[in-house]
Amino acid sequence: MNIKNRKIIGQVLFIFLAFYLDGLIKWAFLNNMNRGTVVILPQLMLMMIVMLTMRIDNRRQLILYGVIFGVIYDSYYYGIIGLYTVLLPLLMIGIDHFKFLLVKNNLGYELSIYFLSLTFLQSGIYLLERMLQQTNTSIFDFITYTLGPTLLWNIVVFFILYIPMNNLSEWLVKYRRDNK
Amino acid sequence: MQKFFSNKKLIILMILIIVTFGLLAVTVNIRDNKKTPPVVQQVGNDVVSVVGGVFAYPTNAVKNATSEFSDLYNTYSENKRLKARIGELAQNKAKLSVVQDENKKLKQELKLDGTLTDYTTVNASVLTRSPSSWQSYLTINRGQTSGIKKDMPVMSGKGLIGRIIEVDKVSAKVELISTDNELNDKFASEILGDSKNITGVVSRYDSSTGDLVMENVNSTKNIKKGQSVITSGLGGLTPRGLYIGKVYGIKKDNYGMTNSVYITPAAELRNFTVVTVIKSSVSGGN
Repeated sequence: MNIKNRKIIGQVLFIFLAFYLDGLIKWAFLNNMNRGTVVILPQLMLMMIVMLTMRIDNRRQLILYGVIFGVIYDSYYYGIIGLYTVLLPLLMIGIDHFKFLLVKNNLGYELSIYFLSLTFLQSGIYLLERMLQQTNTSIFDFITYTLGPTLLWNIVVFFILYIPMNNLSEWLVKYRRDNK
Repeated sequence: MQKFFSNKKLIILMILIIVTFGLLAVTVNIRDNKKTPPVVQQVGNDVVSVVGGVFAYPTNAVKNATSEFSDLYNTYSENKRLKARIGELAQNKAKLSVVQDENKKLKQELKLDGTLTDYTTVNASVLTRSPSSWQSYLTINRGQTSGIKKDMPVMSGKGLIGRIIEVDKVSAKVELISTDNELNDKFASEILGDSKNITGVVSRYDSSTGDLVMENVNSTKNIKKGQSVITSGLGGLTPRGLYIGKVYGIKKDNYGMTNSVYITPAAELRNFTVVTVIKSSVSGGN
């Protein structure tokens, strides 16, 4: 197996790991079912995907990742297909399109891009679910009790995990940089 | 050439929007109306859940360990309280087995095969919880092969926690009773009164207080705080006698017309890793 395929398998494995961690963290630590209106949604898979999108230059590969992981996420966690399936590839194309503006990856840039993607994704999901009458939460409740806490939690986690995630994603994509 | 490309982008956008809404509408319809999702989705979910089991077992072990730690913290006061009730329990247990036996014999006399109170159970462990604000689902590691069907009620140790919403071959999704969803989370239930039982429908969850709300109550005259609420067995696949919680209070609704009974749920919706799926012997749903 050549190095390229091995790197791709590595990328897929780590995205999957982050995918499972999303559900398990929600289940084990953020499982507020009895009391409390605040909803925190861990989005580690998005974190991993944003980091990889910043480094992978092949747009076709990105779209493929987006669609496949989007379908799996929707089917396994939401039971409705069409939320992540559409929003995730769109987001990745968006990042890919504008990343030439960034001179060099650093914490500040990636944090703000992650912040924007998270806001885009959660708002998109809210709008779609609202339109399909899966929820009757008002927009203010959504911002106060879901979007706000989710952003806060995830940004803090991103901040903590940035250095290992940065090294990991560099390592997972690195051979492209060498060949160029 | 330039024009051609911009057209292409427009077409892609159009197709994307059509596909999005098509997919969403179709899957929501399938979830609400069909017994099971398409086979492809079932197999996909099963594969993901089987692999997910590898990660779920250590997580559940950690969860159990932490809840044991918090249990240890209030062991003393709990022990005192429990000791007081243990004599009562033994007596009730003996009485229950006698009454159950008698009930069985009487049913045989009457040639009754199954009544609303008869059910069998399937235990399942929880694999994960959806990181989603409006689909509060648990994924469990039992499915069609264990005889689970859509809409079956699910209990944790102490009380009702939700209902099966999607069944795959070896996994299923449970919609929690605390879901803020207009369509699905309704349980026909009754309050055990002194003389007469009062029926109603547990139809809402008040997320600010953590209480379940029972509506369509026929009369509120004899309802007292602390009375037990159970399922009444009148709605489809739910048998009679599953414990939901205790009455907390009565409030008028916004228009002052109907009364809502607020119920403190019995199930601690936090510290459990194993759930029980209830299979009613009388299949009213089909």
